[in-house]
Amino acid sequence: MSRHPRIAPALGLLVAGALAAPAAAADIEKALPFVADDYGKALAEARSQKLPLFVEAWAPW
Amino acid sequence: MRAFVFTDPALTSRAGQFVWLEMNVDDERNAAHRERLSVEALPTFFVLDPADESVVMRREDGMTVAEMDAFLEEAGRAASGKGSPSPVEAALLRADRLNGERKKAEAAAAYREALDQAPAGWPPYGRAVVALLFLHPSLNEEAKCLALAREALPRLTGSPASVMVARSGLDCALGLAKDDPVRAAAVAEMEAATRRTLTPPGVGAAADDVSTSYLSLIQARKSAGDPAGATKDAEAWAAFLEAQATAAKTPEQRAVFDSHRLSAYMELKQPERAIPMLQQSESDLPGDYNPPARLAVAYLEMKKLDEALAASNRALPKVTGPRRIQVLLKRSDIFAARGDTVAAREALGQALAYAESLPPGQRSERTIQALKKRLEAPPAKPER
Repeated sequence: MSRHPRIAPALGLLVAGALAAPAAAADIEKALPFVADDYGKALAEARSQKLPLFVEAWAPW
Repeated sequence: MRAFVFTDPALTSRAGQFVWLEMNVDDERNAAHRERLSVEALPTFFVLDPADESVVMRREDGMTVAEMDAFLEEAGRAASGKGSPSPVEAALLRADRLNGERKKAEAAAAYREALDQAPAGWPPYGRAVVALLFLHPSLNEEAKCLALAREALPRLTGSPASVMVARSGLDCALGLAKDDPVRAAAVAEMEAATRRTLTPPGVGAAADDVSTSYLSLIQARKSAGDPAGATKDAEAWAAFLEAQATAAKTPEQRAVFDSHRLSAYMELKQPERAIPMLQQSESDLPGDYNPPARLAVAYLEMKKLDEALAASNRALPKVTGPRRIQVLLKRSDIFAARGDTVAAREALGQALAYAESLPPGQRSERTIQALKKRLEAPPAKPER
């Protein structure tokens, strides 16, 4: 994705960033209470709790 | 880092300080947010002000647990707006905001301003350098990138950030025009700096940073016309990754290294070495398209075309989003290698149709044009 030189995974054309977590990593027990793939819900929670919203953009590859 | 950093209990105390969102950019539900936040590299981390969704802080690239903790500490302070930031902190906050708005040139200038004012031992120094090192190449400023790496390395010696900084310097040196008279010396200088960060690896450096540096070293050896040196580095790369995978505590952690390991084995022209690990990952993570997709790549390279097609058949139903295009492209290559030009073109057509169906944020005009060009080209003859 980035133009910055990064590792090109053997799967294809896209240029990847860091080592990727497997898709099943979404189920990994995390130390932090992540909301998965629901921006609206997370934003509403952040507004109601008056907390900043941390976002991790990732992909399973 | 999802399998390593966010599972670390050291971050538990941060749980109540933010609302946490993980956003898979391959998921169609996130396409508009990916577009708005201009995600160009993975992973990218943001801290947003929920009132207006403005970017308070942004960081590309992976982090160690300690770096993430420091990032969150800084983000918490910035988001609270408590206290007056110093001029150097204000410059960094402005740079992050501009970077979040993808005003790259303005962001680069603000990061430069912050670095010019940075006192010795300034905690965000490494983060600011990393951000600017990402921006310079995207602005076609390889020479500035190289100069920044030279400037920053002495201040970051032994730190996790030194691994990425040295590698970025090397990548930017490699990115200089081939006829640039300073290129060869710059590549040699940054290659040496990169090797120093790997022996031993920078204190606490993330495995992905170290791994990616091996790839840059391989490119440097190839650029120097030294294929034997490139192979030696590829062997060291594979050994590093195998050691990391062996030390992994869960199947998820082990599978994290699959993509780089496959790349290393392909570099060594030994794709067969990837088969056992990918079969294990497919067994351990049955819902994940990646292991069979990678098996298809490895088997194709090995010219085991029946196995390649069978693996592609298993991957395809599991993959959605932009990566489905890559799986279909590899499928087309498999059919072409089998001599089935009709099926190869059909797979290409499916890839194009899928690419055109993706929403903004996932749709790539460059990919669409490349696919059209491939479809217009005469069918390739299969290798015999």
